[in-house]
Amino acid sequence: MRVLRFLLRRLLQLVPVLLGVVVVTFLLVRVLPGDPIRTILGPNATEADAAAARARFGLDQPLWRQFLDYVGGLFTGDFGTSIQSGTSVGAEMAVRIGPTMELVVIALTVALVLAVVLGIWSARNAGRFGDHTVRVAALVGNSVPEFWLGLVLILVGYSVLGWFPAPSGRVDPGTDLTLITGADLLDAALTANGPAFVSALEHLALPVATLVIAIVAPLLRSVRASALEVLASEAYTAAAAHGLKDRLLLRGYLVRAALVRLPALAALVFGFSIGSTVLVEYVFSWQGFGQWALRGLLYRDYPVVQASVLVIALFYVVVFLIADVVHAILDPRVRI
Amino acid sequence: MKRRVREAGGKRGFASSLIIAGSAILALVAVAVVFAPMLSAWGPEEIDPLASLAAPGGAHPLGTDLNGMDVWSRVLHAARLDVGIAVAAVALAVVAGSLVGLVAGYRGGWPDDVLMRVLDVFQAFPTFILALAVAALLGGGTANLIAVIALVNAPAYARLVRAEVRSVRELPFVEASRTSGSSFWGVLWRHVLPNSLTPVRVIAPLNCGWAMLTLAGLSFLGLGVPVPTAEWGAMISLGAGDVVAGRWWTSVPPGLFLLICVLGFSLLGEGLQERADSTRR
Repeated sequence: MRVLRFLLRRLLQLVPVLLGVVVVTFLLVRVLPGDPIRTILGPNATEADAAAARARFGLDQPLWRQFLDYVGGLFTGDFGTSIQSGTSVGAEMAVRIGPTMELVVIALTVALVLAVVLGIWSARNAGRFGDHTVRVAALVGNSVPEFWLGLVLILVGYSVLGWFPAPSGRVDPGTDLTLITGADLLDAALTANGPAFVSALEHLALPVATLVIAIVAPLLRSVRASALEVLASEAYTAAAAHGLKDRLLLRGYLVRAALVRLPALAALVFGFSIGSTVLVEYVFSWQGFGQWALRGLLYRDYPVVQASVLVIALFYVVVFLIADVVHAILDPRVRI
Repeated sequence: MKRRVREAGGKRGFASSLIIAGSAILALVAVAVVFAPMLSAWGPEEIDPLASLAAPGGAHPLGTDLNGMDVWSRVLHAARLDVGIAVAAVALAVVAGSLVGLVAGYRGGWPDDVLMRVLDVFQAFPTFILALAVAALLGGGTANLIAVIALVNAPAYARLVRAEVRSVRELPFVEASRTSGSSFWGVLWRHVLPNSLTPVRVIAPLNCGWAMLTLAGLSFLGLGVPVPTAEWGAMISLGAGDVVAGRWWTSVPPGLFLLICVLGFSLLGEGLQERADSTRR
């Protein structure tokens, strides 16, 4: 009940923010220079061609009219028609979200596990050589440009060692895979397609490794800090002095304290990794949401830009909301 | 008891070594920035017509890129642009963000509400996505890049300073200054501002490193400075195609320099943060 009321209030608070996002993206693409019509027609088009194309996409209407059409469409789940490809933006987006979510979710999961294990180990060895090594390694990971790291991993893993497939797509070219969700690994598992599953795993390895290294540092730091706090607390000292088993100390005290703090940070890191995927997808030709949004931006494909930016913002704020709710459930002390 | 004292001492020692390592790296970067022309035989945009994609060695210590330009020279000269843009952008973000946070936090009331709602909208986007969108629509170039990176970083400073100001404005010495007749801006400038900047000082170096990564990321996607200007992200982008063919020297060195430079800022920032934490305790 407590959590439900909190959830409702937070959802209501989201309304003005999302409305602001809709207005800002709508205005941003139209106010800043650049003309999407010119980019599809090419240099030889006449003024009449351009006017006809403009009318077809409704760009000859006054701004307020375009805005009402856009918002009206949003309420019925219609994101408009791509100026570049002429197909429905909603349909294009549906095939693009799966592959990117697959990448982000797997990377975030691996990073979280790695952060909890290494962070607690690091805190228990605070001030020693191992702890310092972990911390400096985390700093290096935090400072590495992810797109460059991806290239280095390709250089080593594909060009030199030949262990991993070429960075072009999500499965080997000849793989026969029926797409259901767009996330290849999941689809291969759902259709019990062994070879496709292996191929998808091989293609995932390097981009996931790239993302994990780029995002693990802040999580690791948070886990280490909360574990240090617990280790210094009287409750922990008492528990340890009473001879509680090591496993119980670890699970009941250290991991629990780390988990309470983690949701909010994981949400922040999720946002960061959405930004990173644009670069990582570009490096690995992933053909996911990030690459699609980037192309829309470069060609000023208004409907694509509006839809992609809105969806990213929506995901971002909803993930934050989920994080807050999870936090409230995990920690009854939270006043909500 | 003794152990705890030693731990605290060790902690401060580690913080100091972080700060020293970070400063040393940044000093090296500064040398590269100042003496780049003297440290390289070729100009950053000078084309060697006899060598395209030449392997490292001989006349070109780090080889040449697709255009026949010397990689070592470009990597060195790029430090000027990358560090310059990042530092300028963070400085702008600090000034603009602090100003907004200062006024919002001190005044309170409706200006505070309005500013915070505007920041909410800006912070509803992951920062790199916002930078990407604005840079793509605004177009590249040095001035635009500084503006874009400052824009996406300013909201965080505004919030940070606002939170600090709200606690500082209640302190006795601020009230004393107010009651003794200082003007609104006088109190803000002399008493509230200097006492609200502590967290900013710690975050700003970390932020410089992050700004460089953003800049390089934008350039990597072709949204940065015009070609053939020497810039790390653009160089990595040009060399990206060579990696599959096993040619490492066009993309690995610029990324490595970028990494080292960002690491310098990170080490410094981390050390400062740790020192701030230990003195607070």
